[in-house]
Amino acid sequence: MRVAMIGWEYPPFKAGGLATHCYGLTRSLADKGIKVDFYMPKTKHATGSEKDNLNIIEVGETEIFPYDRPDNKELAGQFFEAVYRYNDLVVSKVKGNYDVIHCHDWLTMKAGIALKYKTNTPLVLTVHSTEYDRSGWLYPNQWFIDIEREGMEKADRIIAVSHFTKRVIVEKYGINPDKISVVHNAVYPIPEGHKKDIVLFLGRLTIQKGAEFFLRAAQKVKDFEPDTQFVVAGIGDMLPRLITQALDLGISDKVIFTGRLTEDEVKHIYGISSVYVMPSVSEPFGITALEAISAGTPTIASKTAGFSEAFNNCLRVDFWDTDEMANKIISLIRYKPLHMTLSKEGKREIDLFTWDRVADKTIEVYNGVK
Amino acid sequence: MPSICFYFEVHQPMRLNKFSVFNIGNKSDYSYFNKQLNKDIFLKVARKCYLPTNNLLLDLIHKYDGKFRISFSLTGTFVEFCEQFIPEVIDSFKELFKTGAVDMIEETYYHSLSSLYDDMDEFEDQVKMHRQMIKRLFNYKPKVFRNTEAIYDNRIAKKVAEMGYKGIITEGTEKILQWRSANYLYKPITTDLKVLLRNYTLSDDVGFRFSAKMWPGHPLTADKYASWMAKSQGDLINLFMDYETFGEHHWTETGIFDFLEHFPGEALKHDHLDFVTVREAIERYETVGEIDVPWAISWADADRDVSTWLGNDMQIACFNELKNIGKKIKETGDPELINTWRRLQTSDHLYYVSTKGLEDGDVHKYFSPYDGPYDGFINYMNILQDFKHKLY
Repeated sequence: MRVAMIGWEYPPFKAGGLATHCYGLTRSLADKGIKVDFYMPKTKHATGSEKDNLNIIEVGETEIFPYDRPDNKELAGQFFEAVYRYNDLVVSKVKGNYDVIHCHDWLTMKAGIALKYKTNTPLVLTVHSTEYDRSGWLYPNQWFIDIEREGMEKADRIIAVSHFTKRVIVEKYGINPDKISVVHNAVYPIPEGHKKDIVLFLGRLTIQKGAEFFLRAAQKVKDFEPDTQFVVAGIGDMLPRLITQALDLGISDKVIFTGRLTEDEVKHIYGISSVYVMPSVSEPFGITALEAISAGTPTIASKTAGFSEAFNNCLRVDFWDTDEMANKIISLIRYKPLHMTLSKEGKREIDLFTWDRVADKTIEVYNGVK
Repeated sequence: MPSICFYFEVHQPMRLNKFSVFNIGNKSDYSYFNKQLNKDIFLKVARKCYLPTNNLLLDLIHKYDGKFRISFSLTGTFVEFCEQFIPEVIDSFKELFKTGAVDMIEETYYHSLSSLYDDMDEFEDQVKMHRQMIKRLFNYKPKVFRNTEAIYDNRIAKKVAEMGYKGIITEGTEKILQWRSANYLYKPITTDLKVLLRNYTLSDDVGFRFSAKMWPGHPLTADKYASWMAKSQGDLINLFMDYETFGEHHWTETGIFDFLEHFPGEALKHDHLDFVTVREAIERYETVGEIDVPWAISWADADRDVSTWLGNDMQIACFNELKNIGKKIKETGDPELINTWRRLQTSDHLYYVSTKGLEDGDVHKYFSPYDGPYDGFINYMNILQDFKHKLY
């Protein structure tokens, strides 16, 4: 089977779960004998594949932008232009002879739809997030929603990364649930490091990811566990506001903002943290939770996150309930048996979340449209 | 001719209030127990199970002129709920007992794990409390003992014999029987006592599988079940299950009450079958061999041991915390503190903290008031920490 996969980011260039997913999925598909041509925008970083079945094809000269929903209007303008240019280039580059076109999120939907009709090939669309998620359900932008709806309507099959996302696709976009399959994400395990008294937030600093709730919980923990350090890792348009918030809360001595981390630094921080918190306002899946747990770091995740519906050995909170978040952080710090059991059982459960399984389920979807 | 021995465990735990780390040491008058939740659950189960099943059993005992015979164990926490929320449930148990076709079984008042403590004083105290309660309610002294969820080992058997009981109930697991049948009485290697062993296959056919459509035995009808009894070898078929099997674990719609209604009649159609209470069982039959149980067994989960309550580090930590403050608590002589300490010993609190996977995990989830074992641990441990604060 030959698949033209249209992506946006791919390691080492990565802004979020989309890159991680495409990397794990394409490699496992290739291992299973599926021939994958992965189209992506040209990047400054060298990207490639040593696998025979997997070709990484860089299209165009556009530098891609690290935000999927920029706040800055000028940047946004350039960004949308880049997305359009990329989609057009992909359509002209991809020529016939595929069994399936597979695209990911709104960034690649225009190209996916055009190719479906140009080459008369079935289209599979994976939804990693929707505009509702990215906006934190506050003022979602109709322009994105319209692109997303068109893609969902034109796709022959949709893969949602969680039942949570499937519900959004059905309820907010009016799509027939029968054409949506749920495939939960996976992880390449990260080694466990020497644990320190660090409570970690890691993700894009956007309204969607809920870092502000992390800081509020940190303030509540501070008086009870004064030796605990809080780390906010990542970049995003909320960064200045979060730094101000930490000052206002009187916890700036307890919080470290790391800025952008390299892949190795990300692995290191997962490894040495004692608690990972994913307080997302809206989270279709949340691969970072799997990454943290694979590194032996017990995780407190937003109840509505797709991850939470799929994973047993974690703690769940309402993202706005910072009292309960603090209760759970303090409990993890104080009660060693809780920490040990979550760490141990979590790592055991992680073994079920392999890209091999994701590839199998994706192939099932391909076979359904072929 | 095998006798059918029906026995029901009747228990409700005192579920806990939400208690966060921020409450530790600063809410002296805040109750640990969630009265509203406990009341809601209790009234619901009373309506679905206790009252209708008691009525049906009473009718059946009358209908078959005392030939249909059963046994119960009522925990102290269950009786306290009855007396607080719906006393007519206790009245209906008294009615049943008055028929003479019903026996009462002893256990620890709090359905606790005190039998696993280093010394047996607390266990003995809790059994005596239960003895007083049964005496008060039924003016009766039970001869047969069943420990919490049938937890049993040589040490427990010895203690129970010393306390004057003639019989004890536990699980008919191959771990202790090997090739031998559960349908006989056995003697503990350590002491003189008759051990009744649960026939787990036939018990679970009703208790667990009755409404499982995937099970080849489904639908289980009274005559089919009676025919399985009729084909059984041995002296005694011990059918031990949760009382909530009727109307709660299996809803009315599954036909569980119709099944129960018709079973005695179907069983009595076979001339060689009859019904006995646990007391009659040990009076009528003799032991056929010895059992040696150095490590505690129980009837819980697939493992049939105590890993249901002490299977992970969190459970062991809570168990030890609670156990270790016992001496201090008793020294205070404060009846309210002692009562709270004992209510916290109810085994269900640790059951909710079990992290066992697969099918057992589903059962745990069904019973748990928490979003998983970790929340159960945090809440329980926070309460234990607060409780320690009150002591020191």
